[in-house]
Formats: sequence, structure tokens, C-alpha cells
Amino acid sequence: MKFRKVTALLLAAALAAGSLAGCGSGKSAEDDSAEAKKVENEVNKTASGEEVTLTMLIDNGTEPDGYEAVLALAEEKLGIHVDVEIRPGGDEGDNIVKTRLASGDMADLCIYNSGSLLSALNPSEYFIDMTDSSVASTFDEAFTKAASVDGVLYGVPFGSSSAGGVMYNKEVYEKYNLEVPETWDEFIANCDVLKEAGENALIGSFGESWTAQVPYLADNFAVLQKEPDFPEGFTAGTKKYATSEAGLRSWQKLAATTPYYNKDYLATNYNDACDMLVNGEGAHYIMLTMALRNIYSLYGDEVNKIGFFPIPGDTPEETGLTVWAAGAIYGNKNTDKVDDIKRFMEFWVSDEAIDAYVEKVLPDGPYHNGYQLPDTAYDAVKVDMQKYFDEGKTALALEFLTPVKGANCPAICQELGSGQTTPEEAAAAYDEDCKKQAVQLGLDWK
Amino acid sequence: MNKKKIYSTWFLAPAMLIFLIFFIIPMITSLFFSMTVWDFKNFTFVGLDNFKMFFSERSLNIGIKNTLIYAVLTSGLKVILAFLIAVFLSSAIRTKNIIRSIVFFPNLVSTIAIGITFTAFMHPSKGIFNKVIEFFGGTGIDWLGNINLALFSVIATDVWKGVSIATVIYVAGIASIDKTFYEAASIDGASGWQRLKSITIPLCRPAMNSVIILSFIGGMRSFDLIWAMTGGGPGFATDVMASIVYKQYAAGFYGLSTAGNVIMFVLIAVLAFPLQKFLLSKEVD
Repeated sequence: MKFRKVTALLLAAALAAGSLAGCGSGKSAEDDSAEAKKVENEVNKTASGEEVTLTMLIDNGTEPDGYEAVLALAEEKLGIHVDVEIRPGGDEGDNIVKTRLASGDMADLCIYNSGSLLSALNPSEYFIDMTDSSVASTFDEAFTKAASVDGVLYGVPFGSSSAGGVMYNKEVYEKYNLEVPETWDEFIANCDVLKEAGENALIGSFGESWTAQVPYLADNFAVLQKEPDFPEGFTAGTKKYATSEAGLRSWQKLAATTPYYNKDYLATNYNDACDMLVNGEGAHYIMLTMALRNIYSLYGDEVNKIGFFPIPGDTPEETGLTVWAAGAIYGNKNTDKVDDIKRFMEFWVSDEAIDAYVEKVLPDGPYHNGYQLPDTAYDAVKVDMQKYFDEGKTALALEFLTPVKGANCPAICQELGSGQTTPEEAAAAYDEDCKKQAVQLGLDWK
Repeated sequence: MNKKKIYSTWFLAPAMLIFLIFFIIPMITSLFFSMTVWDFKNFTFVGLDNFKMFFSERSLNIGIKNTLIYAVLTSGLKVILAFLIAVFLSSAIRTKNIIRSIVFFPNLVSTIAIGITFTAFMHPSKGIFNKVIEFFGGTGIDWLGNINLALFSVIATDVWKGVSIATVIYVAGIASIDKTFYEAASIDGASGWQRLKSITIPLCRPAMNSVIILSFIGGMRSFDLIWAMTGGGPGFATDVMASIVYKQYAAGFYGLSTAGNVIMFVLIAVLAFPLQKFLLSKEVD
């Protein structure tokens, strides 16, 4: 017995010593890298006169190639070294951003959505006011609106704008002699032709519920054509989806897509859907144009097999582009590096920085500061999308026009798109869901 | 009165202090914040509005129903299946030890990994389950896409994972039964069924009670498996209290999600305590 006790004691001691040693060596490794960094920075110091290290929190859905190129350039030109911290996207990502903000642990630079999600962060507490910066005047109205809360601009655009709409496989369209539809009825007629021929007329990726809301969200141009003051009324709580004809129509359109999806659409995820579209296993995919980037990274130039048109309205006049403003970089104002952060943010939207970015990752749409799209841009962007910008037939998605966005929007759309509810029920459920956000924001909804 | 007391009550102090700081105080604050609209910095007192919202909105109260279905079914299935497995494993079979290990294996895998794996198995067109069904000439089932089936698919996975712990508890319970009971019974000419019914079941009652309580409370607050497999979907078909609370938290509705937690706590307390009392009263010595 005594022997056992002694052994146990020895083992415990060995364990403790081992873990101490573990810590020790870990620390020394850190020291080493810090040393290395110091040397590195000293090189910078001689080049630019000062040394700064910033941290940047970004989601794992953004291709690193693009921002890494810009960060390398920033290190060279500004002498600012940026350490990247990766966070998950979706709900988990929102959680991390909000928790880190609330606990005062935010990185120096935070990449996050603009629009309603920004207003939910309470930005005046945390982010640097960029209203008077030299770059603020270069942004178009859409971005300025999306990245501002109460008239104060907090961010600079991280990338280009994008749009929501229907991406289609041009080869499938040629095979069945289809025309790009101008109205919703023509679109459904095309889907019928494809369905009868045994094709997957629409690709659904409801396995990832956020994708289910795109058909509804991307219909905002048509809503605004019918009711231009819908967003203001919605924010004020006087207009509701369930009682607005234009609003309800969006939900009806989403419900009308149900019969055309691939058989396993409830289990298909975003990446599978992109594969299916480019391989012609489905004709249409209602998605944001960021899917082009995904397809390009997997299939290269085959991305130009993909065409794009907006969600059609009931008349050709109602058919226009619903645009998503770019996500933004926000600067943490509760640090002592505010000047460096601002310098970095201004650099980020300079032409040379965007050049470096675009060389690695092609844009999903036009830039907010008038940056000229490169010739290499996807056909769907520089031809199909640009057309609507040239004609001025664009509108921002609703989440950039009102701070109210229901948190359960993906689930409600998934429910409707899988035939569990009627458009009327879904619209009413969404109105009810938005009430929670309105209460949280302190809006006076009855 | 206290003549037999050897130790000072102060010995309790460290434990009580920890209990106070980490359990009692958070509980009281959460009770308070469940009645507010809260963004971590500022709060507005709204009385019972959050609770009203929870009970009146379908996307929230569907969780109460699903949680009960989930807890009762997982607990019930585990109690029965694990008992049968444990009886089998306690009998004189040669490969007992290997089979015991195999039964325990699912419990060693992380729940999230199990969730992801079973989601792949249950894929309607590419999953192995449907491939097998189709191989034998059946038509595939949309395990997680069919709203009437999705919750039960997750329950089945939970049982697959959780049955092992229950089995271990049962095996221990059965092993502790005195062998002389069985000897006496067989001398009296009792059949195998009679021995099971009159000796094994009553005497492993304490083990059974542990299994029931543990798996029931586990089922009530289950979250990880559901989140990994369906995320509450399709729509809200598999949302349980814990996943709903998490979603409200992620959306930034901190007051509302705290209210959800309070409801969950009350629900577990109201069901689990009487259940335990009832079960204990049934135990025989």
C-alpha cells in the first residue's frame, strides 16, 4: 500500500514537472518568434521610420489570398504588420464578435457585415468614427448608408458590392433554347420546360439554412418598385409583410420555387450547389454573386459558363438588381493605435491595395468607390450585372435600408421553401420575428 | 445536541462560498435579466414580456414540445435497450469483454463528430443508409429533411450514442446482485424469465433509476447533437429549448435568451425532482 502511495506521488510529481516543462518550452518558443518579429520589424523601422502591429478579426468564409496580398503590401508601404485572427461565420461568428466587443477584447480591425447587422452591434461604443476621414467622400451613397448608424460612418468597404439573383448555366439554356426571362411568369415557364425534360430546374441548398433566404431577400427591387416607402414604414412598424401586397409577393415567389428544386435540396449545402451549377446538374441557382468567387476558385475559367439575371418582377419594369453593399472593416476605437488603424483603413481602399486584392480574388460586383473593374472580371459581373448598374435599375437589399432584420429569417424561409407553411403564414411569422429585433433596438412597435 | 460534532461549521465555508459565487449569484442575476431587454451595457426592465413572447410565439414555444418529446423518447429507449444489452452482456458469453468495449465505443467519440457523421449517413441521395435501403429494393427516406421524421432521426442517433453509458450503469447494477439469489431460485425451479422478472429487475432498480434520471435530464438540455445535425431545421422542426436559447443569444436578444434559460431550468426542476422522488419511493432494499 505504502509502495503504491509513493508511486502515485512520484507520478504526480512527474506529471507536474512535465507540464511545467511544457509551459516553459512553449514560452521560450514564443520568445523566439517574438524575437524574430522584432528583427523583422526593425527592418521595417529602417524603411518607414516606425513599427506597428495590428490585429484583424475576419471570418473563415473569406478567401485569404486576397487580403493576404493586401496585408503584405501594407507591411511594405505603411510599415504596419497585421496579425490575422480567424473566426467562424454565421451565428457563431456573430456571437464571437458581440462577445468580444462587450468584453473589450476586440481586435484592432474587425471585418463584419454592414447594414442591419452593424446597427445591432451598438457601433458608437466601439468603432472609430470615419465620417471625416479623407476617403469617406469617395464612397457611393449605398455604402455610406449601409456602414453608417445615426449618420456616423464607421467602416470602409472590405471588398466590392455584390448582388442577389438567379445564376444560370448558359450551356443548359442553349441546350433547351431558353431565353433569359424578363418577368416572373417567363422564369417559371423556363423552369417548367426544364422540369419536364427531367432536369433540376432550380438548385436548392437548404442544407445550409442561410441560403434559403436569398430568393426572398433578392426580391427587394420589385418590392421597392411597388412600394418605394416600404423600408421606412417597416422600420417605423407601420408596414408589415403580411399586410403589404408588394411584401407578400416576395414570399409567394419563394413558395412558388418549391416544386422545381433538386430532390435532395434539404440536405444539399452551398458548396455542393455551386458544383451542381457549374457542372450543369441544375439550371438555376438563386444566390448571391459571391458564389462566382467560389466557383472560380474551384473551376477557374469555367466560371464564365455561368450567367446572371435578377429575380424577375411581375413586369419587365419591376425587374431590377437587388444589391448587397460590401462588408466593412471597422476600427476599434478603444485602443491606443487609433491613428495607425485609420491609416490602414484608408490604405485599404486605395487603388493600389484594391489592385493587389483583385489580382488574387476577382470582384463579385462593382466597387463602392468607383474603382474600374478589371478586364478579367467574370462575364456575369462585367456584362450581366453591369447592365443594370448602367441603366440605374438597382436597389439595396432591405437589410441595408432598415436596421430591423429578423434573426429567424433563414429558418422561416427554409420552412416556407420546404412547403411546411403558406406564404401568408411565413410573412406573418417574419413580422412577428422582426418584433424581437425592434424591441432590442428600442423601436416603438406596438 | 451537538456533542457528536467534531468539525466546525466553518469547514463548510469554502464550499459554500464557491457555491454562492458561481451558482446562487448568477442564478439571481439571470432571474433579473430575464425580465429585461439587455445588450450587455444597458438594460430596460420589461417585466414578464420576455416570458409572454416565449410562450406566445410559435418559433419559441415549439421548443418546449420538442424538448419533452426528445427527453421522454431518448430516456425511455435508453432505459429499455440498455437493460436488454446489459442482461445479455452479464450472461455467460465468451466474448463478453470485447462486446462490452464495442458497446462503449460510441461514447468515446465527440458528439459533434457523431452528428456530422450521421448527417452524412442520412443524406437523402448519397447517404449510406439510403444506399443500403435502395440496394434491397426499397425507396430512400429523407431522414433529416422530412419534418415529421427529422426529430426522430436525431433521437435515434442520440440513443445510439447514449445507450453505452446506461449499459455500463446497468452492468454494474446487475453484477452487484448476490449470486445466491439466482442459486436459490434455480433450486426452486425458476425459469430464466422468472429469474429476470423477480430477481434481476427489482434488484437493479437503483441502477435503473440512475439511468432514467440521468438520461431524462440529459435529454431535456440536449443541444450539441441537434445543433450538429439539423441546426433546429428544417424550419423549426427539430428546435429544442437549448437550441432556441442559443439562437436568441446569437441574435443578440440577451434578455430573451436568459428568459429561455429560466424556463428551461424551471421545466427541468418541475419534472426531474418529482420524478426522482417517485422513483426512489419505488426502490426496494
